[in-house]
Amino acid sequence: MALLEVDNLHTQFFTRQGVVKAVDGISFTVEAGKTLGIVGESGCGKSVTALSLMGLIPKPPARIVEGSVMFQGRDLTKLSERELEDVRGKEMAMIFQDPMTSLNPTLRIKTQITEVLDRHYGYSKDEAVKKAIELLEEVQIPRAAERLNDYPHRFSGGMRQRVMIAIALACNPKLLLADEPTTALDVTVQAEILDLLEELRREHDMGMIMITHDMGVIAETADEVAVMYAGQFVEQTETQELFDHPEHPYTEALLEALPQLEGEGIRHGRLRSIAGRPPDLILPPPGCRFAPRCPHASLGDGCAEQLPDLKPIRQGHLVRSRHPASQREAAVTA
Amino acid sequence: MSADPREAYASGTALPDVVTGAAAPGAGAPLQQANLWRDAWRRYLQNKGAVIAGGIFVAFVLFCVIWPIVSPYDITNDPLNFSEAYETPSLQHPLGTDKLGKDMLTKLALGGRISIAIGVGATLMILLIGVVYGSIAGFAGGVLDNIQMRLLDALYGLPYLPFAIIVLAIIGENNIWTMVIALSIASWFTAARIVRGQIITLKENDYIRAAKAVGARWYRILTRHLLPNTLGVLIIAIFLELPGVILGEAFLSFIGLGISPPDASLGSMAQEGREVYRVHPYVIAIPSIAIAMLVLCANFIADGMRDALDPRTRETKEH
Repeated sequence: MALLEVDNLHTQFFTRQGVVKAVDGISFTVEAGKTLGIVGESGCGKSVTALSLMGLIPKPPARIVEGSVMFQGRDLTKLSERELEDVRGKEMAMIFQDPMTSLNPTLRIKTQITEVLDRHYGYSKDEAVKKAIELLEEVQIPRAAERLNDYPHRFSGGMRQRVMIAIALACNPKLLLADEPTTALDVTVQAEILDLLEELRREHDMGMIMITHDMGVIAETADEVAVMYAGQFVEQTETQELFDHPEHPYTEALLEALPQLEGEGIRHGRLRSIAGRPPDLILPPPGCRFAPRCPHASLGDGCAEQLPDLKPIRQGHLVRSRHPASQREAAVTA
Repeated sequence: MSADPREAYASGTALPDVVTGAAAPGAGAPLQQANLWRDAWRRYLQNKGAVIAGGIFVAFVLFCVIWPIVSPYDITNDPLNFSEAYETPSLQHPLGTDKLGKDMLTKLALGGRISIAIGVGATLMILLIGVVYGSIAGFAGGVLDNIQMRLLDALYGLPYLPFAIIVLAIIGENNIWTMVIALSIASWFTAARIVRGQIITLKENDYIRAAKAVGARWYRILTRHLLPNTLGVLIIAIFLELPGVILGEAFLSFIGLGISPPDASLGSMAQEGREVYRVHPYVIAIPSIAIAMLVLCANFIADGMRDALDPRTRETKEH
C-alpha cells in the first residue's frame, strides 16, 4: 500500500461571489521514499491541495466536499481536528513558501524547534535542546549550538528555510509537503536548499510532495509529476517521460516558456508565453478548462463542451486532452 | 561615532568594524545582538518629553515610597496638634500643614502611594480582563466573536464614572480594593478591543499557520505565538489607561465616594482643601498639582512608548 493515496479530492471555498472550486477532483499516490512534483501556475490550486492534505485550509470558508486522503491507512478527511494535530508535524510535515514570515519573530529559534519535540515526543528541555542542535547541524547551519539562542531576524532567507526544514524534520515525518520551498530565495540558495532537501529525503526515507511552478525544480527533485491547471490534473506521469514526451498542450506550452541554455534543439529568440489567463474557478469553462487558451482546440471538436477524462495514453502516462501531442502527429501523418 | 550611519559608511570609519566583526565570528568580543528592547529604549531616549516625564514619574513614585519611612512625622500616630493647623510652608513643614496640623509633604507621599497603587492595580486589572476577553473573541472569531463584540458595544454606552459610582454603591465599602474593582470594571472595554484587533491581525501570519502545521494546540498558539506579539501595544495601553484611572480615582475621592479618612489619596486631599481654598489655597493646590503632574507624565510616557515600540505608527497621533 502506498504511503499516501488521494482519491478524487475536491476542496471548495464558499464565498459571497460563489463557490470557488479550488481543487476539483484530483487523485494521486505517493510511495514511501518517492517524490511527487505538482507543477502549475499561480492560482491553479497547488497550495490548496497541500493545505487540504494537512487539514490546514481555512474553515470557513473552505471545505473538503468530496474525496478521501488515505495516509498510512487512515482517511485524514475523517479525522477530528484533535487527531489531525497529532498527525501534523509528526507523521506529515510541511515547509512553507516564505521563510521570512514563517518563523515567529518574537521567539528564539530554540523555542520554535523544541516546541515540536515537546509537543509530539514530550522531550525534556535538555533532550529537546540536544536534539535541536543535531537538527540544525543536519540542515548544515554552522555554530548550531550558538545560533539556537538567536531570534529569526538574525538569519538570512536561506538560513531561515533551513531552520524551517529542521522543524519539519524534527519528528522524522513519513511525508514532507514542500510548498514552493525555494520560490522566495536567491537562485544560488535555491540550489543549496534543493540539494539539502533531496539529501535529507533520502536519509530519512521520506515521501515528498514538491509543489512548485518551476519546471527546473521538478526536473531536479521529482520522480513523478502532476501538471495542475485550474484545480485539475491535466497530465500525470514520470518525470523523465514528461520532459521527453509532453502530451498535454498546456505542458508543452509550459516547457516552451522555459529558457534553455544548452543542449540539442536549443531555441533562439523570444520565449513563448501562453496567451490568455487561467479561468475563473467560480465559473470554469464547461468543457476542457484549457480550451480557451489551447492552440489545438477548434470549434466543433467538442473541446469547449465536454470535459475530457484523465486517461492513460501510454503505460503510466495520464493525460486530459483531446489533442495529445502523439495523436496529433499521427493525425498529420495519416 | 557619527550619528548618521550613512555618514559613517561614506567616510569609511564604520566599514572596517562591520567587516571584521562579521568575518570573525567567535573571535574576540561577540557581536552585539540587535535587540528589540534595546532598540525601543534607544528610540524612547530620543523623545525628550517622554524622558523628562519618565524621570519625574519615577522620582515621584520613589518619593511616595521612601519619604513616609524617613519622614520625621508619623501621620497616623502623631498626636493631633491644632495649634499647628494650616501652617504655611516653612522649613519644618516644606508644604505646610493640614487642618489637623499634619505635615503636608508626608501626607502627599502617603496619598500618592494610595493613588498610584489604585492606578496601577486598576490598570493591571483592566489589562487582565481586556486580554482574556479580547483574545478569546479575536482567536475564536465567528459567532462567539460577534456576541462578545456586540456585548462590548452595549457596555461601551455606559458612562464611565456613573458606572463606577454604582459599582461602589453596590459593594458598599470604600477601600483600595473596591476602588480597583470599581474603576477597572467600568473601563476594560478599550483594552479588550485593542487586544482583539491585534489577535485578529496576528493570527493571519504565516508563522501561525506554520505552528499549526507542526501540530501545536490552540492554547499554545494563543499563549506562545499570539500574546507575546501583543506585548508592545499592551505596554502602551498600560500608560494610556493609567491617567484615566488616576483621574477617575481622584474624582471619586473628591466627591467623597473614594478613599475615606484616616487614609488619604490625592483626590481626598484635594477634597479637604476644597473646604478652605479661599483662605488656604495651597492645601488644594498641592494634591491637584500632583494629580495633574502624574496624569501628564503618564500621557507623555505613553506617547514615547508608542513611538519606541511601534515605530510604524509614529506619524499618526490618534487616541
